[in-house]
Amino acid sequence: MRTKTWAAALTVALGAGAAQQALAQVKPEVLVKQRQSVMVLQAKYLGPIGAMLKGNIPYNADVVSRNATYLETLAQMPWDGFQPSTQSEKTKAKPEIYKDTAKFQAAYEKLEEETAKLGKVARAKDEAGVRATFGGVAKACTGCHDQFREK
Amino acid sequence: MIESGASPGSSTLVKVWDAPVRVFHWLLVALVTFMFVSGKLSWMTWHMRCGYAVLSLVAFRVLWGFAGSTTARFASFVAGPAAALRFARQLLSKSAAPSLGHNPLGGWMVLLLLAALLMQAGTGLFSNDDVLSEGPLAALVRKETSDRISTVHYWNSNLLLLLLALHVAAVGYHWLVKKENLIGAMFTGVKRLPAHAAAGGTATRFASSWRALALLGVAALAVYLIVNRPF
Repeated sequence: MRTKTWAAALTVALGAGAAQQALAQVKPEVLVKQRQSVMVLQAKYLGPIGAMLKGNIPYNADVVSRNATYLETLAQMPWDGFQPSTQSEKTKAKPEIYKDTAKFQAAYEKLEEETAKLGKVARAKDEAGVRATFGGVAKACTGCHDQFREK
Repeated sequence: MIESGASPGSSTLVKVWDAPVRVFHWLLVALVTFMFVSGKLSWMTWHMRCGYAVLSLVAFRVLWGFAGSTTARFASFVAGPAAALRFARQLLSKSAAPSLGHNPLGGWMVLLLLAALLMQAGTGLFSNDDVLSEGPLAALVRKETSDRISTVHYWNSNLLLLLLALHVAAVGYHWLVKKENLIGAMFTGVKRLPAHAAAGGTATRFASSWRALALLGVAALAVYLIVNRPF
């Protein structure tokens, strides 16, 4: 039993390490394109929920549930694309990302947390809950942009 | 009563600023302060609403610069570069006499501030914050264009801050060094001036506040139409 646990842990660790290494070898321009694509999709799925909450379009709990679920997944995707190798690319990512990695991690984990909260209430079709948690997601976006994105 | 500086003599109270200019000025102070705070804190809904108010006020002030009271008109306070330079030299040597309305340098600061505010409000209409908010005209341009305009919106806000700092510093200089209370005059509309400077005051013609309200209405309507584009 014990050996099995260790073996599993080792496999995961090796797998993660291998993934990390593989990522580091991806061309920096590709990494940038990938992480920017994720953010484009985040805007795509965030926007309609915002418009519904503002009353610009009718509220649709099914769309909110689907979009929030996408956002929850998307929120985990961009971060491993911020490899030091991409600093040579023309992007708005500030160098602080690679200097103050702990702070950057805290900022993106905030988004992961907030989108998880939103996803949960959205899937429960809890409109009041969506209204209560949506601001946190938007704030996590701008909070990170303010710190780590060039104007 | 002895005036500041070397020139003794009688001084009189002269009305220089009409009510519209004063109300415009202090409303703008409040709104622009709020714009900086709301911009920093990403309170976009109110940032945008108050931005329309700023744009309306600035548009009104431009109209008032052509159709307002004498001291509010561009023609009366925009000095040529030579006059502005001469005044700047006098100012530093402290011999410059107080002006009835805007002094030659102050007149240029008014123009710069209005231009920077117009630029700030105008770029704001086309900006986006890449999250949820975009200006009412951002939909008319491509995303990259809106992004570039957003960058200008940001840098111009820093320029505006710099101009405001200069403006406040200049008023402080007049107050502390030249003992001229320009801030009080912007509240009361009245300046205490030495006789020779006050003499021109009789030529000041004050436009009616009703005309100001009408022009503000025109400015606000124009902004409303730009923002909502009902046609």
